Amino acid sequence: MDFEFSDEQEQLRDAVRRWVDKGFGFERRHALAKAGGKTRAVLGELNELGLAGLVVPEAHGGMGFGAVEAMVVMEELGRGLVNAPYAQAALVAPTLLSRAPAALQQAWLPKMAAGEALVVLAQQERSSRYRLDQAATQASEAGGNWKLSGTKVVVPAGDEADAFIVSARVAGAEGVALFAVDKGAAGLELRGYPTQDGARAADLLLANTPATLLTLQGHAALEHAADVAIAALCAEGVGLMDRMVAITVDYMHQRKQFGVALATFQALRHRIADVKMQLELGRSMSYYASLKLGEPPEQRRRALSQAKVQLGNSMRFVGQQCTQIHGGIGVTDEYASSHYFKRMTVIELSFGDTMHHLGEVSARMRDTAGVFA
Amino acid sequence: MDLNFTSEELAFREEIRDWVGKNLPKDISHKVHNALRLSREDQQGWQKILGKKGWLSYNWPTQFGGPGWNSVQKHLFEEECARAGAPRILPFGPVMVAPVIMAFGNAEQHKRFLPGIASGEVWWSQGYSEPGSGSDLASLKCRAERQGDKYLVNGQKTWTTLGQHGDWIFCLVRTSSDGKPQTGISFLLIDMKSPGITVRPIITMDGEHEVNEVFFDNVEVPAENLIGEENKGWTYAKHLLAHERTNIADVNRAKRELERLKRIAKSEGVYDDVRFRDQIALLEVDIVALEMMVLRVLWAEKSGKQSLDVAGLLKIRGSEIQQRYSELMMLAGGPCTVPYLHEAMEGGWQGDIAIDRFLLPLAGTYFNQRKTTIYGGSNEVQRNIVAQTVLG
Repeated sequence: MDFEFSDEQEQLRDAVRRWVDKGFGFERRHALAKAGGKTRAVLGELNELGLAGLVVPEAHGGMGFGAVEAMVVMEELGRGLVNAPYAQAALVAPTLLSRAPAALQQAWLPKMAAGEALVVLAQQERSSRYRLDQAATQASEAGGNWKLSGTKVVVPAGDEADAFIVSARVAGAEGVALFAVDKGAAGLELRGYPTQDGARAADLLLANTPATLLTLQGHAALEHAADVAIAALCAEGVGLMDRMVAITVDYMHQRKQFGVALATFQALRHRIADVKMQLELGRSMSYYASLKLGEPPEQRRRALSQAKVQLGNSMRFVGQQCTQIHGGIGVTDEYASSHYFKRMTVIELSFGDTMHHLGEVSARMRDTAGVFA
Repeated sequence: MDLNFTSEELAFREEIRDWVGKNLPKDISHKVHNALRLSREDQQGWQKILGKKGWLSYNWPTQFGGPGWNSVQKHLFEEECARAGAPRILPFGPVMVAPVIMAFGNAEQHKRFLPGIASGEVWWSQGYSEPGSGSDLASLKCRAERQGDKYLVNGQKTWTTLGQHGDWIFCLVRTSSDGKPQTGISFLLIDMKSPGITVRPIITMDGEHEVNEVFFDNVEVPAENLIGEENKGWTYAKHLLAHERTNIADVNRAKRELERLKRIAKSEGVYDDVRFRDQIALLEVDIVALEMMVLRVLWAEKSGKQSLDVAGLLKIRGSEIQQRYSELMMLAGGPCTVPYLHEAMEGGWQGDIAIDRFLLPLAGTYFNQRKTTIYGGSNEVQRNIVAQTVLG
């Protein structure tokens, strides 16, 4: 058992933190969000730090790092409220491609590791909610060529991406399959829009659009990718909460009412103790999430669902209470803390909300429980 | 970063598991697994078995005859004991007073008191709270007046857990009224057979006799029973609190009780009721999160890194979880937990009632567990402490 980060991991953390401190202040973030949330340029700067290939195998030009390094990076991106689709581009897409035929991996992974290609998952549909095995999008094959028809929604950074990994149902087959689709493919249309968290997403419309088969075992691949995404979001959530609490604590010392600082009121002191509790429970379960990613699927799924429940509850509490403690300033657009709150809320709505994952935990419960069960 | 125990730690766990499996009497573990009443003989019997093995003093350093285990080993020991259904080691002797005697007592006191604690022969009680001094402990009034080579003690202690069995009691007493309340307190060891001591039961709302009032009426205590210096007792007591450590969260017992909750929910047909089952699932998440937090603290202690500021959170969370599982067990039992049969809490009871025996203690346990957020520094006091670390 060891909860210490290696020197290399600490250096990675420092590198991201330094970049945030120097190049990604709240002003810039706010301006990007107001301009519609296009952040491909920001992603480019992260790539200059070498982060694009963080988990891509070295054979494909990446660094071949693991879950803990990803967690470290995500915590810092959370702390900095960085609204670029890093987790989607650098963690989720490589995980999905690891299940692709060698030729497809060779075609995309080196470009992704170099930061030249932005590939994102297009899985959600109007009626799928958080169910990974649901897809109304249809895939059909003729003479070895696949074509897709359907509509995907809230595709992250959709109108900035170069390619998509699309889930679809294959006529006559069970479950969902995954396909790679180039943004320039025939019959593909994108309708972009800003999102609540200052980023961007798009509807992806496919009409007999040519696609390359990634895997017919789409559900297992999606579950794996969703768990990688959940661990990343948990870590980002920890960074977000950490920073939002720090902002709130500063404000409690600074702001006076009835002639004294907010930090002197016991009602608020107890509230901040409860906030600290949720932050540390969340941090503990974020570690758990990343350290359980290598487990067999059944244990991995259960653990990641447990983590998402904790982080969902923690982020909601921390976000709501830190907003409340601030008073009026906390609900304004000009003040950073409201944007932390909104990002936490969007994380709740990504890859399964708290209730969804509580259902997963419930369904997967066994007689024994605990960290090592 | 790594979540796995080392192979040495796993071997250590096996050794403990094997020994506990062979040495824990079945009639005692049966009572623990079913929340039945433990007699003095059950409690002390198990402590003496541990004492013989040298494990009752499991948290002591080797220089005082302890095994010198690190924080992870202590945790694994506690986990295996809890898992097997061993009674919780009563902390008053080995966990609470012994570290104070070791740190601040003299060599004579080490020789006189530590062996009886390590063997489980001497039953210790705690004399801190008073009727007027709960959370505000430093306001305590129980007086000890120095008269030659002895102290004359007058006053009252209360909430003395299992004080009806006590051989000795460690007390915080007032030896001076000068200066701040904290500076006039001394740490005194008192033989409970001394003339002038009266122990009166307090019956709690579950109908059980677990806590007591202890009255001191001109009780003569030899001055050699003073630990350390007069008027320094508050400092020693704070040292003691620092030794309550992670086991105050009692996550190991929580895991065992979660298993019991699932068994009860299955037998009562609510395990498949989504509304009920989700509550169990949420508790399971809470317990895993608490365990992770405990493991982080253990690792920080073991590695000698600066102690994590999450330790203060453990008491709050652990006690809330204890209350929650006792509440859910009662709710799972439903109407069949309503009968109040005091005698059904005894091990050998053979009552004629059409309700399964294991349901009968559940409401009582729920009532009993209300204490957990009050004792050991109420959760509100704990929040003050946590807020201090966050806000200054």
